[in-house]
Amino acid sequence: MIRVELSKMVRSRRTWVTILLIDALPSLVAVLLSLTAIGPRPGTGPAFLSAVLTDGTLFPLAALAIVLPLLLPIAVALTAGEAVAGEAQQGTLRYLLVRPVGRLSFLVAKMVAVMAFVVITIVVVAVTAYVLGVLLLGNGEVTAGSAVVPGGTSVSGTTLSTPELVGRTALALAYAILCMAGVAAIALFLSTVADSPLGAALGTMAVLIASTLLFTLDAADVVRDVLPTRYWLAFVDLFRDPVLWRDVVRGVLLQLAYVVVFFGAAWANFATKDVTD
Amino acid sequence: MTSPRRWLVVAALVAAVVLLPLAPRLLPADETDQEPAALLALLAEAPDAGWSGYVETTGTLQLPATGDLDDLGSLLGETTRLRVWWRDADSWRVDRLLTAGESDLRHTDDVTVAYSYEAQEAEVSRDPDIRLPRTSDLLPSELARRFVVGADPAAVSAIPARRVAGVSAAGLRVDGSLADERTTIGRVDVWLDPATGVPLLLEAYAEGSSAPALTSEVRDYDPGTPPASVVALEPTADTDAERVDVLDIADAASQYAPLRPPAEVAGLDLQPSSRGAVGVYGRGLTQLVAIPLRDNEADPLREQVAVTPDAVATDDTIGALAGPLGVLVGGRAGDGGWLVAGTLDLDALRTAEADLRAGAVYLPEEDQ
Repeated sequence: MIRVELSKMVRSRRTWVTILLIDALPSLVAVLLSLTAIGPRPGTGPAFLSAVLTDGTLFPLAALAIVLPLLLPIAVALTAGEAVAGEAQQGTLRYLLVRPVGRLSFLVAKMVAVMAFVVITIVVVAVTAYVLGVLLLGNGEVTAGSAVVPGGTSVSGTTLSTPELVGRTALALAYAILCMAGVAAIALFLSTVADSPLGAALGTMAVLIASTLLFTLDAADVVRDVLPTRYWLAFVDLFRDPVLWRDVVRGVLLQLAYVVVFFGAAWANFATKDVTD
Repeated sequence: MTSPRRWLVVAALVAAVVLLPLAPRLLPADETDQEPAALLALLAEAPDAGWSGYVETTGTLQLPATGDLDDLGSLLGETTRLRVWWRDADSWRVDRLLTAGESDLRHTDDVTVAYSYEAQEAEVSRDPDIRLPRTSDLLPSELARRFVVGADPAAVSAIPARRVAGVSAAGLRVDGSLADERTTIGRVDVWLDPATGVPLLLEAYAEGSSAPALTSEVRDYDPGTPPASVVALEPTADTDAERVDVLDIADAASQYAPLRPPAEVAGLDLQPSSRGAVGVYGRGLTQLVAIPLRDNEADPLREQVAVTPDAVATDDTIGALAGPLGVLVGGRAGDGGWLVAGTLDLDALRTAEADLRAGAVYLPEEDQ
C-alpha cells in the first residue's frame, strides 16, 4: 500500500509542478541577490539571508527560511488535504477500500506519501539553493585566529568550520521536515472529515494562520507553547554557539504530539466511516 | 473497536500530551528550614556562584523612552529571552536571543564585549562607573542584588517555596511599606536555590498592584560553573571589532558633564560608584538615578513624559509614574535639566530634583 501511494505521488505531474513552484522563489531570490548584491541587514528578513552575500553555501538555510513559513505548509496542506477527500471526490475511495487493506494501513500509506513529498521538496530546494548559492554568491571562508579556513560565522559571532556547518544544516533540514509532519497530520484528519480536498486544505491553512496570529499576541501567552507554528523557526538555534537545544527539542516533541493526536483523530473518524463515494 | 472507544483513545492521547509537560510543574516544592536572615546572607554571596541556563524576563513598564533610551524601554516593557553562562561576578556571558539573531554581552574582569549579530560588530569597553541598564542587569541574580540584598532586613520575610526550573526554591519577600513609605514598589518576591543562593525567580510589584511589573525567571538551570571558553570571544573577520569609550547617554553625561551632584538628595545618600556628573542615590527599594541632560536631550524626553497618562507638570518639572518607576525631568522647554528616575513617588523625585539644582557644583574650567 505504501509503495503504491509513493509511486502515485512520484509519478504525479502535479507533485513536480508544485515542487518547481516552491523552488522558484528562493531561486529567484538567489539570482536577484547576485545581480544587485543588496541583502537585508543581519537579523532582519528571512533568517540567514543577510549572510549569503558573503557565503553562498549558507543559501540552503536562507531558502529554508523563505519557504518554511508559507509556501511549504500550503503545499503540504493541499497534498495531505487531498489524501482522503480527493479520493472521495474522484469516486475512487470505495474502490480503494474494497482491497484487502485495513483503513489504518491506508491512512499510514497516505501519511508516508505526504512526508515523502515533504522530504523530496526540501531536498530539491536545498540542493538547488546550494548549487545556486555557490555558483552565484561564492564560497564562504572565515578568519579564525591567524588562519583563513572555509566555514562561516555562527549567530553568536564564533567560527563554524565547514563540517560543523554541513552537520547543522542537515539537522536544520531534518527539523523542517518534522515541522511539516504536524501540518500533514492536521490536514489528513480534516481530509477524513471534509467532503472536498479544498475544504481540508483551507481548514488546515486556517489553523496555521490562527496559530501565527496568536503567536504574536501577548494575551495568548497561555497557549503560545502549544501552537503548531510555535517552534518552526527554532532551526536558527542550531546555528548559535553552543547550540541551543531547548526550543528544537520542544519543537520536535510538539510536532510528534500533533502527529499522534491528529493522526489518531483521523483513524478514529475514518476507521468505520461510511464511504459512499 | 467501536467508534466511541476510538475517540476515547484519542481523548486519552490528548490528555497525555497536555498533562505530561505540566507534571513537573505540579510537583509540590519542598520548604527550606533556613531562616530569612540566612537566606539573605546566601543571596549576598550568589554573584560568586557559577551557573548557566535560560532566562525569560517580562516587563510591563511603558516608559516615556525615546532615542537614546529606546533600548531601556524595550528591556523594561517587553519579554526578553536570555541565555546565561555565569562563572562569577567577573566572568560571565549573557546572550539576548532574537528570532533570527542575537546580541551578546561577554564580560571578563572589567572588560565587556558587546557582540551584535544584527550589526555584525563587537564593541569592546571598560566598565564605566555609571551606565544605563542592559540585559545582564535583568537577571534574577542582579535584580536581587540591587533590590533585596541592600534592603532593610526588617522589611524582609519568608514566603512559601516554589518549584522553579525543577528546583524547590526558597522564597523571600521585601515589603515596600515596611522598607520606606516613599517607595513605589509594593513588594519584591524572590525565590532562590537554597543550595547555592542563586536567585531563580524575582517578581517586582508596583504599590497596590496584584500583577508583577517586572518578572525575571530562570527557566532552565544548571548549577555547575560553566567553562571559561564559553565566555571568551575571538571576533571573526566578518565582525567589525571596535573599542568604545562612551557606552550610552548616562556614561557620556557622567564622564563629560562639567558638574558634580550633591552628596545627598531627598534624604538619600550618593552611592560610592557615582564618581562623575551622574548621581545614583539610595539603596534597596528606594533608589534613584540623576542624569544631567542638555536641552536637545531633555526636550524630546519632556515631550514624551507629557503624553504619558497621568503625567504631572509643575512650573519647572514634568513627571510620570510607569508602574513602580517614576520619571521626572526638571527645567523648562528649551533648557537642559536633570532627569531623575527611580522607585520613589513623584513628590520625592521633585524634592530630589530641587536638591540637585540647589546642590550640584559646576566644575571650574581647568578641571573639566
